[in-house]
Amino acid sequence: MGIIRTTFILGCLAFATACAPARVIKPLEKGEKQIGANLGGAMINYAGAPIPLPLTSINYLQGLDTGITLSAAVHTTDILFGVMHAEIGLGIKAYQTKSEKFGVTISPSMNLMYDIWEQNFSAYPQLDALCYWQYAEKPNLFYGGLGSWVELNKVKAHNEVQTNELLPYIMVGHQFNRPKWTFTTEAKYLGFQHDNRYLVPDFIGPSHYGALGLYFGISRRLIK
Amino acid sequence: MRTLMTVIAVLMLSSCIRLDSLMFSPDTSIKTYQLDAFEGRQEIDLPEAYALPDSLIEVFTLESDLEGDKAEIYAVYVGNQNLISTDTVILYLHGNAGHLDFYWNRIKLLANTGAKNRFGVLAIDYRGYGLSGGTPSEDGLYADTDAAMKWLKEKGLTSDRLVIYGFSMGSAPATELTANPRTLQPSKLMLEAPFASDEVMLQDASGLSLPGSYISNLEINNADEIAKVDEPFFWIHGVDDDYLSIETHGEVVFKNYQGIYSEAHRIEGANHGDVPFIMGFEEYIDAVTQFVER
Repeated sequence: MGIIRTTFILGCLAFATACAPARVIKPLEKGEKQIGANLGGAMINYAGAPIPLPLTSINYLQGLDTGITLSAAVHTTDILFGVMHAEIGLGIKAYQTKSEKFGVTISPSMNLMYDIWEQNFSAYPQLDALCYWQYAEKPNLFYGGLGSWVELNKVKAHNEVQTNELLPYIMVGHQFNRPKWTFTTEAKYLGFQHDNRYLVPDFIGPSHYGALGLYFGISRRLIK
Repeated sequence: MRTLMTVIAVLMLSSCIRLDSLMFSPDTSIKTYQLDAFEGRQEIDLPEAYALPDSLIEVFTLESDLEGDKAEIYAVYVGNQNLISTDTVILYLHGNAGHLDFYWNRIKLLANTGAKNRFGVLAIDYRGYGLSGGTPSEDGLYADTDAAMKWLKEKGLTSDRLVIYGFSMGSAPATELTANPRTLQPSKLMLEAPFASDEVMLQDASGLSLPGSYISNLEINNADEIAKVDEPFFWIHGVDDDYLSIETHGEVVFKNYQGIYSEAHRIEGANHGDVPFIMGFEEYIDAVTQFVER
């Protein structure tokens, strides 16, 4: 029975958690601004081939102060469904070595969604914590960490109890920094506590748990 | 920033990606219905012992009227049509893929309920499926199912002898027209691998309590509609259904039923489309027979 299996996926996953790479890896310097675009998502089997879902978003970063970066993003794929999905948060320097080559960044943010069809509104807090290691003179970075969306609703459809309080993920990635441009590649392991065998999308995850995700980002410094 | 906001506003106002039409996956490539001669993929393979006499199989057309949007839809009746005015008929509503040939062995299996041709079985191809005209839609499912009931009523069927059986997507018109009857009020409701709602599909996939309106404008809601059904209810679902999870779809529909009688068949090892095969054809037929005859 192939009901919607190959077509429902895009819709479902347009709203799946962590549909973009980490927003703030190393906080920007005060006054620094970046605008970027991201592509990628959870890996699925599509027509027999593993592909990352082509979810897109655009984002804006601004260094508010030393060690504090404002992040704002709009999920463009969701817009095509008539859903405004905005994300706003901060990237906060939690720790950094004197050489600034190693550090820890904490990023609390909020996802806000609203649809034009029935005017339903949703809000999901999100928290990321990652550490980075700058390995070259040009400040290219490796990074890794974990994060989670937080489900505030206690019930889901048809008044069933919502048992997912957290939707965690782990991530590893690399940032290739040029003077004006930054290129990000990130892999995530999403929802690793969830059995993925009984879902419409054919997620690819180890031992049928969760989904692996692949993301690409490009951003440009505007002003410093 | 103003430009960005303008682009977002225009995109939202012009947004057209909805999954409503993607609910349907019809196959319109056939030139004629082949039934036993069909060599394409079928939901289940059936032994020769369940063969039925050709003289009791008729493919014909019905006119379905969806608020003026008329479509000629195809149907197959298995059984002696002269007995429709006196005996029980099972109206089989298939899933969202393919066409009648794809479900022919399932229809034959139901026509073996009780005994060979003990009960008549009527099945339709919804508009836009197989050779049926028109375009699939949620309202079309209901209109086409009601057209089948009108045909049965014209042949002398009364509500007390109509059993409606919905498989997968077919659970939507089966539940809807039992909860909110039109031409006939089915006397018994049978659902195989029903889905609760598109909202459950979204929430299962995302893991979040997101509203169904984020992806579709469909109003199919078996989980809520079943609460209006008083008629006896038979539910069967594969425990290993990897498309419509028994836990989040079937169990919710079953739990919400508040009528006079219900029975549940949770089939270990069965997936979405192979419940009769995994259960065993005879066991499946026995279960259906007992429910229809109770």
